[in-house]
Amino acid sequence: MTYAADMRISTFGYAALLTGALCLPIAGLAQRPAPPAAAPSDATARIVAAAQALLTSLDDAGRQKLQFPFEGPQKTRWSNLPSGIFQRQGLRMGDLSPAQRAAVATLLTTALSRDGYRKVMEIVRGDEVLRTGSRGNRPGGGGGRGGGGGTNFGEDEYYLAFVGTPSTSAPWMLQFGGHHLAINLTLAGSQASMTPSLPAAQPASYTVEGREIRPLGKENDKAFALINALDAAQRAQAILPYRVSDLVLGPGQDGRVIAPEGIRATALSAAQQAALLDIIREWAGIVTDAFAEPRMAELRANLPQTYFAWSGPTTAGSVAYFRIQGPTLVIEYAPQGSVDHIHTIYRDPTNDYGSKFSAK
Amino acid sequence: MTTDRNSRRSKSRGAIAAALIVIAAVPALAHRRDEYLQAARISVDPHRIALELDVTPGIAIAPTVVAEIDRDRDGRITDPEARAYAGRIQAGLRLEIDGRPLPFELVDVRWPAPMDLTRGEGTIQIALAATLPSLDPGRHRLRYENHHHPADAAYLANAMSPSSPRVVVRTQHRDAVQRTLTIEYTLDRETAGVPWLLVVGLAAEIVMIAGLGLVVRRLRRERA
Repeated sequence: MTYAADMRISTFGYAALLTGALCLPIAGLAQRPAPPAAAPSDATARIVAAAQALLTSLDDAGRQKLQFPFEGPQKTRWSNLPSGIFQRQGLRMGDLSPAQRAAVATLLTTALSRDGYRKVMEIVRGDEVLRTGSRGNRPGGGGGRGGGGGTNFGEDEYYLAFVGTPSTSAPWMLQFGGHHLAINLTLAGSQASMTPSLPAAQPASYTVEGREIRPLGKENDKAFALINALDAAQRAQAILPYRVSDLVLGPGQDGRVIAPEGIRATALSAAQQAALLDIIREWAGIVTDAFAEPRMAELRANLPQTYFAWSGPTTAGSVAYFRIQGPTLVIEYAPQGSVDHIHTIYRDPTNDYGSKFSAK
Repeated sequence: MTTDRNSRRSKSRGAIAAALIVIAAVPALAHRRDEYLQAARISVDPHRIALELDVTPGIAIAPTVVAEIDRDRDGRITDPEARAYAGRIQAGLRLEIDGRPLPFELVDVRWPAPMDLTRGEGTIQIALAATLPSLDPGRHRLRYENHHHPADAAYLANAMSPSSPRVVVRTQHRDAVQRTLTIEYTLDRETAGVPWLLVVGLAAEIVMIAGLGLVVRRLRRERA
């Protein structure tokens, strides 16, 4: 499905599309109009209010599962792996009542942008497809077996955690994740950092009610468009002459910074620079607009020190890796041997887990 | 003793059977299968090279790797077995500085849970370090090679952003599969020379002031 076709899917279509265990979160999306960007402090206040509403809906045991101290191991406890192989802590979606799920949905729709929430839900729904094997568009293509060998897939196996106490001024963190998903959003008053986060997808394409869903389709399509917009000399700089088979700075690689490679953005035309920023926005724009805009402004300012690197064929639909790296940014997009299994990572080496905010 | 041995053999068979059950039961699509991921990160400092190597055998080759580690097949990875395997990995690595072999030593090894290893999700983390010979300021070439398990390896090799302002990574050259990496870097002059310059400068200044003082005194005497 193309970007344009994707945009044509109606709000109602998405509500119908992502049914099942997370029906209430999707209902939350369906009811949510696209709001204008709020001021960052207002956005924090709304997120905190939604977090407190969720806490109110839980009993003591639920609240205990949800909350963790800010300075503790939970902050870095995330993974791309499914439950069973990697044991998450927090509130398990499969254990919640419909009302509690609705409260989680409200919280996520408040914390994320419209596109960001859709992406997250499409990743979650993709894992349900993996679990049931009900891929839709390709008979027998999913292959996921729920529960086999202690490994669990599906919409119930996503977890929410608060690291620190929800506050409009003090730093705290909202974590939502499961197989192929880790959202780590640190809030501190009017500031926010959504790094490190790991949006991934398997299957990378599936069909619901005749519509093709590609959770990371825009990332893929925009990157192929950019590499094919480069001239021969630019490609010679951008394309790495070796295979990159996985994320270099994936889970467990906090605090590490590799030497940048590829073409520097200063060697790109204005249109190509805009295309690069548009790719970056696919990750930076997952968070609600009030925080996405200042982050994009920072990344735009750092563009002259930002690099774009590519590994693999440049024909759309091929298995190809790319990386975007700047002073406050690392994005990697790494197919896991096929175009149907994608891992990505989004980092700010200077502010992962909001380290700048909590250091103050 | 014989009973112990029989018991261990029995446990071994049990462990291997358990591993096979896990491998059969875990959905293959979620995991690296038939590749042995070997990710190297190399940090260049003026006097030292640090090499971190994370090795993760995929689920399909994990039993082979576990058998290579667990030499007595008792279903446990003991410290001597772990050290021996780390030594085998180390033996497959080469470092060169400016074309000369660079010896390095094992600093640390961290092991995953055996079950994670058999699931194809366990990573063995190895830290190695080399002390560089005295290098002149200017351009240098550090070459890294990895020959561990070449038949099924998927390599990553990257230079880290140097922590020392004296080191600037200029280029990285790799073969098509990243089994080899050559890092070209420049080493700046040691900034520790600055205090010496300050001392020399201050001494010169004192001599000049003293000299001026003498001249002034002489002039005053002559006037008097």
